[in-house]
Amino acid sequence: MIIFLQATVEGLSLAAIYSLVAIGFVLIYKAMEVLSFAQPALAVVGAGIISFLSVERGIPFWIALVLGVIFTGVLGLIIERTFLRPMVGEPVFSVAVLTIGIDLLLRTLLDSWIGINPKYMGDPFPSYGNFGAVNVGGVNIKYLEVAAFFTAVVLILLLTIFFRKSKYGIAMRATSYDQEAAMAQGINVGRIFGLVWLIAGILAAFAGFFITGGFNTLSQFSFISALRALPAVVIGGLDSIPGAVVGSIIIGLTQGYVAYYQLTFEAFIGFSFGSGFSIVAPYLIMFVILIFKPDGLFGTEEVERV
Amino acid sequence: MRGRPNLYTDYQKESSIFSNKTQKSWFGLLISLAIGLCFLATDYWLLLITTSCLIAIASWGLNIVSGLAGQINLAHGVFIGVGTYASAVIGGVATSSVIGYNLDMIFWLPVAGLASAVVGLIIAPITVKLKGLNLALVTLALVFIGSHLFSNFKSMTGGAGLGRKVATLKLFGIDLENGLQVGSYYLQREQILYLFSLLICVLAGLGVKNLVRSRAGRAYSAIRDGDIAAEALGINLFRYKASAFALSSFYGGISGALFFTVSGGVEPGSFNLVYSITFVAIVVIGGAGTVLGPLFGAFFYTLFPAVIQLFLHTFDIGEQSLPLNLGQLERLLFGLVIILFLMFEPRGLWGIWFRLRNYFKAWPFSY
Repeated sequence: MIIFLQATVEGLSLAAIYSLVAIGFVLIYKAMEVLSFAQPALAVVGAGIISFLSVERGIPFWIALVLGVIFTGVLGLIIERTFLRPMVGEPVFSVAVLTIGIDLLLRTLLDSWIGINPKYMGDPFPSYGNFGAVNVGGVNIKYLEVAAFFTAVVLILLLTIFFRKSKYGIAMRATSYDQEAAMAQGINVGRIFGLVWLIAGILAAFAGFFITGGFNTLSQFSFISALRALPAVVIGGLDSIPGAVVGSIIIGLTQGYVAYYQLTFEAFIGFSFGSGFSIVAPYLIMFVILIFKPDGLFGTEEVERV
Repeated sequence: MRGRPNLYTDYQKESSIFSNKTQKSWFGLLISLAIGLCFLATDYWLLLITTSCLIAIASWGLNIVSGLAGQINLAHGVFIGVGTYASAVIGGVATSSVIGYNLDMIFWLPVAGLASAVVGLIIAPITVKLKGLNLALVTLALVFIGSHLFSNFKSMTGGAGLGRKVATLKLFGIDLENGLQVGSYYLQREQILYLFSLLICVLAGLGVKNLVRSRAGRAYSAIRDGDIAAEALGINLFRYKASAFALSSFYGGISGALFFTVSGGVEPGSFNLVYSITFVAIVVIGGAGTVLGPLFGAFFYTLFPAVIQLFLHTFDIGEQSLPLNLGQLERLLFGLVIILFLMFEPRGLWGIWFRLRNYFKAWPFSY
């Protein structure tokens, strides 16, 4: 039972992290019909900026975190303005490959800065903070996991309020519903695209911090964790924000349970899935779901016209 | 009809592989040049061109499924991997950790292609149902599942980080690993590999050129331009989408088997996401959906790093004085090139070539 709870806690914290990246994916897809493969790169770049400011420059952690998040958001804005705006109306595939190019660009620059030694994120509470953990009835809960969970909940709540109440939030919803009609109502669609990338960048930076925080550290392979938000989005449906959250929870919990129960299960059925299976499991789930529900669990079904 | 090369009096002539004498003679000239290069170029450049030819074969494969049939495939590297390991098992030498049957090239080369094609057909029921971004995502999942399987089937692949030796170079019972004595001339291993790759590359290229004008090629284009409309025209979607995947994988398998024979060994980590995406990038840079595009793209991709090195060497710029190391510099420029081509020249290198050719065709007129 303790193992089960432990796996659940870790899974939920992963789910929170994935949901941040996943919501970024969905926002961009809804607004521009672009699948941005650059999102994982934005997440690790965000983490890189935070680490650079707080550890190498010695800026107090909280200021570094805020600056890192803002810089990453602005970076998303710049990417949209320079690379993606001219591509409006181009085939979906071309734009997807373009974001792969952006991903390559960002990660190469980051990799050259990271070098061989992994980077630490800094610690907000030097006495116990990121690296610490609390033991609740035998379940080891890291403060970082708690922080990730609550940050995600707060950010999702803020976003919900933003979409429901604010002028720009409603304009974004209008844009994703019908671009031309939105333009006819006087909405500056280009500005909405920029805003979407800004928000996606901010969410990615938070996710990047939680992926690489504490003992996890930022290395050249950190982006693979962020890329796992992609199956989450697909499971939930590319154009559904609640779907992205549900998908992230499925993926996070799967990863948690597989990590803890794989050996027991393998001994039970007498067949080995191989090492590192917890990394592949999300993709297998995505594979199966796409076969039976190509639009995901919550996505709107696509109507095709000849 | 002489002196009027653009006048066709029947469809057969217009759709022939070489539609006029000029094309035929250019092709002949290029082939003779390429064969001549075998005896003139240094081993370094010979190796680069060999690699280019082999990468071109794989890129043609991806171009069949993505460029011609319009089905996005981000998992081409996995199919290449399947072919590589099939050839390694059939043609490789067994050791204490890996299996191998050490058979002749005449067996392992076709088996490499066929094994990939079979895998392409096995996943066809899934890939045929999906299209667009969903297909891209499923193939992305395939990349991760594929790498996982490659790293865990240790008896075939040697396992992650260790790898294995690939198929030995042995044709019709003649061992070519240490070169070949032809009369009084001694052919080195590099030269044999170069000539063989060139031969396969030319055959593969002619195959694609032939495919484009065939019934299947026309069906692929119809599916790419609108699959519902194609179905309404009586094209069997399942059959043609599946055959496109199988054919593409076949090319990939052949290319992989030969490519890793050139380098001698293979490690499961090679077939990662970046490897698969490289081929997408090559097709995009070269020009998707064209016959010559992937060839241009492949040569660009292989010769690009060499040109950078040559540039640094000529201007005597030390690697230490650069902010990035050489591999990173190549990746950075490669990413930039992908972005710039998509933004400013969506038809890729082929588009540039097309404009150049038409300029000289119409010279001295500008239209």
